[in-house]
Amino acid sequence: MHKVTEIEVQHNIMKANKKLADKNQALFDNNNVFCVDFVGAIGSGKTSLIEDLIDNMNGSIGVIAGDVISKFDAGRFEKHNVPVVGLNTGKECHLDAHLVEHVLDDIPMDKIDYLFIENVGNLICPVDFDLGSHMRIVVISVSEGDDTVEKHPLIFQSADLVIINKIDIADAVGVDSEKMVNDVHEINPSVEVIETSLKEVKGLDKVISAIEEFKSN
Amino acid sequence: MHELSMTAGILKAVISNAEENDATEVTEVIVEIGKLALLNPEQVKFMLDVLSEDTIAKDAKFVMEEIPIEIKCKECGYIGEADNDDLDHYAPMVECPKCENKLIEITNGKDCIVKNIIIEKPDD
Repeated sequence: MHKVTEIEVQHNIMKANKKLADKNQALFDNNNVFCVDFVGAIGSGKTSLIEDLIDNMNGSIGVIAGDVISKFDAGRFEKHNVPVVGLNTGKECHLDAHLVEHVLDDIPMDKIDYLFIENVGNLICPVDFDLGSHMRIVVISVSEGDDTVEKHPLIFQSADLVIINKIDIADAVGVDSEKMVNDVHEINPSVEVIETSLKEVKGLDKVISAIEEFKSN
Repeated sequence: MHELSMTAGILKAVISNAEENDATEVTEVIVEIGKLALLNPEQVKFMLDVLSEDTIAKDAKFVMEEIPIEIKCKECGYIGEADNDDLDHYAPMVECPKCENKLIEITNGKDCIVKNIIIEKPDD
């Protein structure tokens, strides 16, 4: 004979990630490192933006290049002579705090002021996973279509700064970038939105100021 | 999109709790998924059925329950549930039901919780 028993489990799958994210942030804080999580779709310009920030920001920067296969982006960052760690997610569609924790030993925390984490190209899955960063920047480009903000509201609700990139080709792809700005503010009224063209070096100074301001607050 | 890894986490919690309680079989699992978690309950259920093969939970009935969205409005101070059934998004935008402001803090509805399990165990 068997007896049937009900067991109260109450195991929160998300809390495990949050706990590790808090641990990561404590490590950043102890080392006076300001950590930024860059999220955005594939091809939105996250890698190019981080490269430009490395070349133009004051302070030492370290980078975690997260991707399904990270060696391509990691190789680009390495050319800028900064500490870089590639983080392969394989089949996974996002980074999580646990994956980030695993590579933090390879980052020289005492030698950097900023840690930039490039998340996997995806506007959906990263929403649920706090990495322990101090700031989340969402990068989108006009080539994704001017309905991309409306279609992915949660990522914009979680953003501390939104960048609309490639505005130099807005006319060519028939997109109204102002509509995208308005859509972001419809979802997240208080977030700063910056329109950029990395190709024409437009808006980069504003992005740098926004990061520095967020860091000082 | 990340249902597979989340489901693996759910199943791990189910099996370890069952084993700690000397279960010979898990017959039912209740999982709560927040309306704002980017997880499709139907997909999670399907993957639980697949991943539980060859485990003591292989014949378990997986029951998905919904965690409602709760918010705190930064504008009018409303605290409570914020229903989003009228919106056509699966991953919806949330606003204050009282003043319709979107400057809100989401206080509940993003989690994924293994609530309880029903097991069979040998008589003492």
